[in-house]
Amino acid sequence: MNHNSVAKIIKSALDEKRSCLSEYEAKLLLAIYGLPVTREVLVNNADELKGAARQIGYPLAIKGCSSEIAHKTEQGLIHLGIQSEGEALAAFEEIKKKLAQGRGAVLVQEMVRGSRELVMGMTRDEQFGPCVMFGLGGIFTEILRDVSFRKAPLNESDVREMMREIRGNKIIDAFRGMAAADTKTLAQMLIGLGRIGLEFQEVKEIDLNPVIIAAEKPVVVDALIVLG
Amino acid sequence: MVVRKMNRQAKKEEMERIFYPRRLAIVGVSTDGGGRGFGIGMLTGLQAMRYVGEIFPVNPKGGSYAGLNFYKKVEDIPGQIDFAIIAVAAKDVPEALEACRKKGAAGAEILSAGFSELATKEGRELEHEISEIAGRGIRVVGPNCFGIYCPRSGLTLLPGPDLSRISGPVAFLSQSGGMAIDLAHKGKWMGLNFSKVISFGNGADLREVQLLDYLAEDDETGVIGMYMEGIKDGDAFFDAIKKATRKKPVVVCKGGLSAAGQRMVVSHTASMGGSRVIWESVLRQVNAVQVQNLQELAEACLAFCFLPRRVYRRLSIVGGGGALGVTACDAAENFGMEIPALAPVVRKSVEELLPKPGSSGANPIDVANPFVEPKILQKVLRAAAQDDRIDLQIIVSLLYHYKTMARMLGKPIAQVAPYRELAELLGGVVRETGKPIMVVLANPKRGVDDLDIAEMLALARAELIKNGLAVFDDLHEAIRAISHVNTYYEKRIKNES
Repeated sequence: MNHNSVAKIIKSALDEKRSCLSEYEAKLLLAIYGLPVTREVLVNNADELKGAARQIGYPLAIKGCSSEIAHKTEQGLIHLGIQSEGEALAAFEEIKKKLAQGRGAVLVQEMVRGSRELVMGMTRDEQFGPCVMFGLGGIFTEILRDVSFRKAPLNESDVREMMREIRGNKIIDAFRGMAAADTKTLAQMLIGLGRIGLEFQEVKEIDLNPVIIAAEKPVVVDALIVLG
Repeated sequence: MVVRKMNRQAKKEEMERIFYPRRLAIVGVSTDGGGRGFGIGMLTGLQAMRYVGEIFPVNPKGGSYAGLNFYKKVEDIPGQIDFAIIAVAAKDVPEALEACRKKGAAGAEILSAGFSELATKEGRELEHEISEIAGRGIRVVGPNCFGIYCPRSGLTLLPGPDLSRISGPVAFLSQSGGMAIDLAHKGKWMGLNFSKVISFGNGADLREVQLLDYLAEDDETGVIGMYMEGIKDGDAFFDAIKKATRKKPVVVCKGGLSAAGQRMVVSHTASMGGSRVIWESVLRQVNAVQVQNLQELAEACLAFCFLPRRVYRRLSIVGGGGALGVTACDAAENFGMEIPALAPVVRKSVEELLPKPGSSGANPIDVANPFVEPKILQKVLRAAAQDDRIDLQIIVSLLYHYKTMARMLGKPIAQVAPYRELAELLGGVVRETGKPIMVVLANPKRGVDDLDIAEMLALARAELIKNGLAVFDDLHEAIRAISHVNTYYEKRIKNES
């Protein structure tokens, strides 16, 4: 674990008076804590884009990446299922145009496939400090609010319980031909989120949504880290 | 790094002198105002409770009351004191407290109001002063509280001259004085006996964390109930309650969850994690039993007191009427239990005992007639207990129907309803079979025409409790109380293995 590199990511954002990390920075931080994240490359021009696309392989997700944008879907800054270089370039241009007013680069990302989406997060409670969340992800997070919380630090039994506590807990079991989710990795991810909360007071909130179960492996597909 | 100012941990010896004081001062006893003052109320309350120690009332004007001479100053009391009850005006509290400290008191309860609850600068400063004096070596309960009730020593809450002197395993910690006195009164007829009830009000010194630590180790306490609105230190509370639940159940009623302040949040996680959700999660995390109100708290404590420590999955229910069967099964399923059909041989022996037609020996067992004699009910419950799958039995008693019979015979219902016999025989079945029985005393007739039923049922309840049976008003509440026992022991057993 490299505590210093995490501190550096946070410090540079704070130095720039930013209240959020960019998605790219957030995932760097999460990866340091052992959370599986999407393979991705930050690009500034068409040449870099082409290189990144070759490196990662189609299909791709291409997203606007800036610390100023928390909810990208609403703003048309996410292009999913890009199948060719032509589509990739078009998406790149469109995102660039939308980003023109503000700072930010374009993120080229592997397209993670899986029909099960989870949410994980961390929030600070006035009384209890960092608390970790687990629940149904994607659009269901806000529709069903099927989530559970535990105060950090989390131990193995806390994590097992919080995964069982949601109404939709079958989502991590073997279901309709899909393999059971890798709960060991899910557990490590939740414990890791609690550790981030305990070790970095500057991290105010974390929102990982969706975390997609690809085959059985969970991958953080989008990440928001709020500082404060 | 935030430096937390922690309230001092409580030592066992000082706490024992507080709960079982031999020499007790009441500072601020006044006979003016017709005895409405807190001090005089406590004095008469303690005498009515036959408090075991010596009382030293203090009033600057002197005087006497109920055979006791008033001391003008705390300093004038001969020798040391163990504990003090302070009921003077808020501005005079620091001086009184300091005097009690110098007199060697281990602790004091401050009934007076007029401190931080006013949310004024003066109020907060006065309370700060109290905390500082407490830090120099006298434990404080309060201010702005109703004090301590301890049946073994006879200490009582304000105003509680008529609480039970029978000690028992239930401890109750409450920020609210009203909740404390209400539960103490409730316990008296519900069959809850207390080790200690502490109303700690503003909690300037002793509060949830220190009291949980003490009660977790207290041999007289088997179950801890809590009512709280806010806590001082989330981390310390988390550790204290987690430690306590490893030793004994802690039943928590958290007030003020709906008033959660709106916060400006960016992420979904933060907007989902309002105060209520986090509280509920944290309480689940530490294996505390969560209840919504004081009645549910009392019922949960009752179940913990009466039921041997284990998980109860399968119930048998004895009552009358087909609808009972349906509602019982629904309630059981809601709370993770079942009411399985009795084994054929057991069912047959039950059915042989019951009047025909209309009865059923399936589970729930429908006795069909409210006047089935206690002797028969005894046999029915004894027979049903023979089914190995049954963990616990509930009988929905139809004693209220005896009003009809009483009218016919021209006798009072309390003479006609066979509650004494029922209580003794059911108590016997529990001892014989080792399977607990809960009694539901149903009473749909609660109007002024039926005060005699209420009276008879109160007598019946007392008799049932005397025979070691837990009594509830409603089947749903009984099953919910069992589910609290189940939730607690399930997790505790898992954690211990």
